[in-house]
Amino acid sequence: MLTYVVRRLLYAVLTFFGISVAVFAMVHSVPGDPTYFFLGHSPANVPPSVIAAIKHQHHLDEPLLSQYRWWLGNLLTLDLGTSITERRPVLELIVEKLPRTFQLNLIAFLLAAAIGVPVGLWSAARSGRLSERTTAVSFFLLYSLPSFWVALLLMQAFSVRLGWLPLFGMTSDHYLELSGPGQLADRLRHLILPVITLTYAQLAIFARFSKSAVADVIRQDYITTARAKGVAPGAVLWRHAFRNALIPLITLLGLTIPYLISGSVIVEQIFQWDGIGHLYFTSILRRDYPTVLGLTVATAVVTLLASLAADLMYAAADPRVRIDDRNR
Amino acid sequence: MWKVTWRRFRRSRLAVAALIYVAAVTLIAAAAPLIAERGRLLPFDPNEVDFSSRFRPPDHLHRLGTDDLGRDVLARMIHGARVSLTVGFLATAISLVIGSLLGALAGYYRGVADWIVSRTIEVVLCFPFLFLVLGIVALFGPSLYTIMIALGLTSWTAEARYVRGEFLRIRELDFAYAARASGARDARIILRHLLPNALAPVLVSASFGVASAILTESALSFLGFGVPLPTPTWGSILLAAQQNIEYAWWLVVFPGVAIFLTVASFNIIGDRFRDALDPRAE
Repeated sequence: MLTYVVRRLLYAVLTFFGISVAVFAMVHSVPGDPTYFFLGHSPANVPPSVIAAIKHQHHLDEPLLSQYRWWLGNLLTLDLGTSITERRPVLELIVEKLPRTFQLNLIAFLLAAAIGVPVGLWSAARSGRLSERTTAVSFFLLYSLPSFWVALLLMQAFSVRLGWLPLFGMTSDHYLELSGPGQLADRLRHLILPVITLTYAQLAIFARFSKSAVADVIRQDYITTARAKGVAPGAVLWRHAFRNALIPLITLLGLTIPYLISGSVIVEQIFQWDGIGHLYFTSILRRDYPTVLGLTVATAVVTLLASLAADLMYAAADPRVRIDDRNR
Repeated sequence: MWKVTWRRFRRSRLAVAALIYVAAVTLIAAAAPLIAERGRLLPFDPNEVDFSSRFRPPDHLHRLGTDDLGRDVLARMIHGARVSLTVGFLATAISLVIGSLLGALAGYYRGVADWIVSRTIEVVLCFPFLFLVLGIVALFGPSLYTIMIALGLTSWTAEARYVRGEFLRIRELDFAYAARASGARDARIILRHLLPNALAPVLVSASFGVASAILTESALSFLGFGVPLPTPTWGSILLAAQQNIEYAWWLVVFPGVAIFLTVASFNIIGDRFRDALDPRAE
């Protein structure tokens, strides 16, 4: 186990360097000049002294390699730069907005798992029947629905026509005048539509993943043994197969994080939810590139850590992974 | 092999319907200037502004209604299909070339090449896809080309993995050894002998790739970072719909259905194609 952990950690460090190089290369491949990046607009009408100051401040007047060393050093000391529009450290902005995105996505993730996994298990047991095939096709169609369209339809139906739910935002205008339970209810009402928008597409992923996980387990020898010794078919499935089939779901945790962050750009933009995705999009609109950069690196590192955690948990749960990896 | 695959593919009526739908949309998109322009089958230009008929609901004249500038929605949607399919096919072609090349090098040479390609894939997968695409498009300025290139550069990892896996397998087969023994150069072995045999699973992921590219292009357009106005795209009609959500339901429904059906069709084709290739299925 220890060798596996060390190897995995080394790879993670390497991937981190890869991330830093990739973002650095992105900044320097921008047409024109990286000064543009920190200025937020074209350097055409800016006095040369200001440009020189900016270049000096961000070490753009040094050789490429030492520029990269500065960039890496800043990353390692968690210095992601300062937002041009908010005039605050980017890290501070991220720490402020990340919990809001996390709240939305955690609820959607748990909901998708709570519905998708049982459906996947049920599908594995009834594989090939009409009811199972219909469910699979309808989940697959759900997966193909554009989330921004679904959000618009939901808003039109529940907010505009029926007036049941708020159109957007995280709380109502009169939120501060509400009582404690009233505030909670208000927050919940604002959560419903964004959560539905984030959840429905993931159902297919969870259902399909857990179905194929069960299908893999059913082919194993110990299932044949259980059947041979006369365990009832239902008990083989529920008690022997499903428990082991749930292990691969751990990997899904790491895999879905970048997908969720991507999705949050659209959902948070439509519902005006003041989280990471919204911050990223408004920063792009305002050409606040230090924030865009900081967020890109931060989300990539979050993804890296999540997939590292998922891999280690998986290896702890399933010893075969460690051995397979060594033989590879 | 292709014959057997096609016979198995055909068994799913849904997949055949999806294939027919894709063929029809492609045909309409290719023929858009012949159908939806003034003096043609549909007597409206896609960019023809008419302030006297803003927000007309669907009727016998404007079959799918008009938008905020009085433009005919059907004409705009027919032209929008061009953008969606162009981006879908070309972005996937770019990622197919990059992915196949890197996957082939990794699978054929193994060792250092494999190690470098695998680590690169890990790095690319760490970035949230839409962040990267949106960032590149914003930095280099939104246009049909930047969108295609941004999508192509960020979505080749699946293809690379498939090709690498296939190459690891088929490089050990007899015909690969025969080619090497006969003194063929590496480039020839990779391109002429191995790649054609590794193509089938790549085409599956390409089909999913087209679906994802079309979805992302329309999302970019919807966010205002698509092909610049006034070029009509499905996503930009939805953007106009969002700003007028109170009354213009037709602006919401029709482009959304078009995106959904197209994306779903490519997903269904990919899914069925995968099953048809899998000898274990059925």
